[in-house]
Amino acid sequence: MKWFRFSLVILAATVIGAGALMDVISITEQHIKPSLLLMLLVYFAINCNSYDAIICCFSIGLAADITGNLIGPYFISFGVIGTALTQVRKFILLKKTGQQAFAIFLTGISIYLLAIIIMKFKTSGSGAPTFANAAAVSMYSAILWFLLKIPVETLGKWLGVGVYRFGNSLSEPRA
Amino acid sequence: MARTKFKPSKLTLFIGLFLTGCIFLLLPQNVTSKVNFAFIDIFDYFLNMGSSAQKPRQNSPGSYVSRQEYLRLYTAYTNLEAQLAEQKKQFEKLSKIRLTEPDPSTGLIIAKVVNRKEHQFIINRGSADGLQTGQYVLGDNAVIGLIEQVSDDISSVRLISSSACKLPIKISSPEINSYFNGTIQGDDKSGARILNIPQKYKIKAGNNVYAAEKAGLLSSMRIIGRISKCTPGAKSAVVWDIEVKPVYDFENITDVAVVVIKSPEFK
Repeated sequence: MKWFRFSLVILAATVIGAGALMDVISITEQHIKPSLLLMLLVYFAINCNSYDAIICCFSIGLAADITGNLIGPYFISFGVIGTALTQVRKFILLKKTGQQAFAIFLTGISIYLLAIIIMKFKTSGSGAPTFANAAAVSMYSAILWFLLKIPVETLGKWLGVGVYRFGNSLSEPRA
Repeated sequence: MARTKFKPSKLTLFIGLFLTGCIFLLLPQNVTSKVNFAFIDIFDYFLNMGSSAQKPRQNSPGSYVSRQEYLRLYTAYTNLEAQLAEQKKQFEKLSKIRLTEPDPSTGLIIAKVVNRKEHQFIINRGSADGLQTGQYVLGDNAVIGLIEQVSDDISSVRLISSSACKLPIKISSPEINSYFNGTIQGDDKSGARILNIPQKYKIKAGNNVYAAEKAGLLSSMRIIGRISKCTPGAKSAVVWDIEVKPVYDFENITDVAVVVIKSPEFK
């Protein structure tokens, strides 16, 4: 895993995700936008070795927090749910695009639900997304994954993720 | 001698990062918000790329005025109307007491919208300019929200369309020349709702809604919007379900004014 390149990609995804450019593809009067960070989280959780995936999940959570009002809720929720996903992929391979889209939807709902609960403790829910909003964002991200899968995979290869040689990942240490 | 590279186990790494998250969460919001504001400050240009705030305004030809200009004039007119009605009342009842209304222009801080999020604006003024949490924010004289968080030179505004924004209001009733008190709360879409107004009050669509005066924050009523829908309550038959449409479309606002009332100095 090339961490400098990873930080550049996450920074770019954060700025694009929080910027006005995403309004172009927002839908309904509630301005539902897809979450690029959510898609990246699922991609890294599925394709990285589990050690790197933990770091990736928490880093993406921190990036999501920076664009919000509080530091902490998304850091914890992205980290915990992302790490759980790295355990799930030991039992379910999640190789097909449809499976990955479904994983994005479920992961998104779990992350936002956990973040809403954590935000309630801190600020009695001020600024937290509603559950319907969270479900819509997750659904939109899952649908968009069918279009973005190939560009994200290309980006992943540039980062040294999902590159295999002789049946082993380059970054996965031999047992 | 070869150095041993420190590499914690997966469990240690996870617990360490989780505890870091808990520490972030326990830090006061005014400390962590500096990070949020710094991000917006640094990437301001990229965040606003393609927004309506960056597009140049076009003037309408002929004797017609643009919708934005019409809204500005209409807001000024309704505010004047409210002030006039209020002053008439005061003259009738308190003709012997000297009016101590401060000049509103002395307590206004003009700020630029540097970023916009869901039901939130980030403006380029902060505590160094006298801004504090809870102060009223005007967009061309209409109340559009409240100051939510403040750092030295940047602040966030919670718009009235957000459910996190609640403020006292007065609903005009021109038929009986009176105002009804209430509380407005955002509907998390593009408008707001007024809560628990009994049906015995004669209210109908089209009536103006004003932010009520609040000691130290707002010295006279300011318009928020107009009632767009007023129907008998779905949950309770004794109250109205009132929907309010703000005067302005928040997308078009590029400059705001924050009401900063200076407390009088007693000698």
